[in-house]
Amino acid sequence: MTATPALLELDRIDTYRGAAHVLRAVSMRVGEGEAVCLVGRNGAGKTTTLDSALGLLPVRAGRVLFRGQDVTRRAAHDRARLGIGYAPEDAGIFPDLTVAENLMIGKWLAPDGPGTGSVVDDRMRALFPELDALVDRRGLNLSGGQKKMVAVARAMALGPSVLLLDEPFEGLAPVVVTRFVDAARKIKAMGVSLLIAESNVTNAARVADRLYAIDRGEILFEGEPARALEHAEVMKTLRG
Amino acid sequence: MDTLLTQILNSLFYASTLFLIASGLSLVYGVMRIVNMAHGNLYAFGAYVAAWAVGLAASTLHWSLLFIVLLVGALAAAAVGALLEPTLLRPLYRRPEEYQLLMTFGLLLILEDVMRLVWGPHPLTASALSDALGSISFMGVTYPGYNLFVIAVGVVAAVGLGAFVYRTRFGVMLRATSQNMRMASALGIDVKRVYVQAFTLGCLMAGLGGAIVVPIQGAVLGMGIDALILAFVVVVIGGLGSLEGAAVGALIVGFVRTLGITYFAEVELAVLYLIAAVVLFVRPAGLFARA
Repeated sequence: MTATPALLELDRIDTYRGAAHVLRAVSMRVGEGEAVCLVGRNGAGKTTTLDSALGLLPVRAGRVLFRGQDVTRRAAHDRARLGIGYAPEDAGIFPDLTVAENLMIGKWLAPDGPGTGSVVDDRMRALFPELDALVDRRGLNLSGGQKKMVAVARAMALGPSVLLLDEPFEGLAPVVVTRFVDAARKIKAMGVSLLIAESNVTNAARVADRLYAIDRGEILFEGEPARALEHAEVMKTLRG
Repeated sequence: MDTLLTQILNSLFYASTLFLIASGLSLVYGVMRIVNMAHGNLYAFGAYVAAWAVGLAASTLHWSLLFIVLLVGALAAAAVGALLEPTLLRPLYRRPEEYQLLMTFGLLLILEDVMRLVWGPHPLTASALSDALGSISFMGVTYPGYNLFVIAVGVVAAVGLGAFVYRTRFGVMLRATSQNMRMASALGIDVKRVYVQAFTLGCLMAGLGGAIVVPIQGAVLGMGIDALILAFVVVVIGGLGSLEGAAVGALIVGFVRTLGITYFAEVELAVLYLIAAVVLFVRPAGLFARA
């Protein structure tokens, strides 16, 4: 365990999707200013873990804690306003809304209000300078990579203390992956913690301070990326 | 020339009332994916309450103030909507849609009986209002002033609703919720609240439609179901869930009805259904369907 106080903590949670028992006693913690990766193969339970943390799926047992406060029964929109940002695997951009509208929703609902600056604020611009050119475009007219950029910027609009990113590097060309890795590092440097679900251990190792390996809904490893890479059994499970 | 103008005004008059009903139906479907069968009787409820309120106030208020009293009908329908959504519809969202159809159809029947119970089998009227405006002569035609008022209300409602949905913060959140409810809640939008607000707004539009026609048509039992069927034709043509579709659908149905009454009165409704059927074949999701 690291010494940093837990910002987000999952305490032995069990989650079901319909009748399927997906997560089994999953415990993990994301510290203040920490970048944590959750690594596992497809279907291992990564998305379900993020959904449970945010409240998009109810947990059957266990607790979700945010800044030490039990938020297990709080609705997703409450948790979002408390400071948990989320960018899903498919980006979840509203297709009929412009990029500006997509970004403004978070700003309107942010605890300290929308501010007076432009739609794309300095923090967003620092991550992805090309956002300025996209503001008038509708969601459905964005490329896959652009959607992912908007999704990350949109999650930042709420001013979160922790950002949940589901497969942020998925489907991107290697050069673009590097840009997203940089963006993740910048987000961390801005003081925002990260919980990234990632199926590629090598990518995860590029951003994570600590990683958890998940398989069949159970955490089977927790520690520094370098240790995971040395751990033959973990690597075998993750690589399939 | 003057008959043509009269026919055009008649068509716009129909289109206005149809838009008021169909836009609410479409809005509710667009946001919540619920086909609200009770919508027709919320329209009728608005008509009854408006006629009842105008009847109470007619002896004490100047006629010009009675126009404001009509709004009581719209507000009453909105209030019923605000009660129904959280209590009877919310528990059904996770169920297959036949549950929602059964529930809203049941509500349609219950509302019909409630109106029969409260106001009896005889029609209510509020003709003081339409009489008060009399007829207006312009460009060689003489046309009922109240019908012009209805057209104006329809246009204002269409522009206002469009501005509300496309230009306001709430409209952005409404559209976000309709496009991706999970993502909306993940961004901090209280989806339950958006649902009750959207449903209430839809019922307000229905109630306004009922209130506005009552000085001409009166409030009669069965008016809700007739209106519901025409509103369905409108949204099938225009595309369920689309505001532009409701406006264009209402105009098409309005003009075809006027033509029908003049030239083929016997098969007027059949022609409307035929148009709806053709649209279903050619563009199954309606003329203004989203991609």
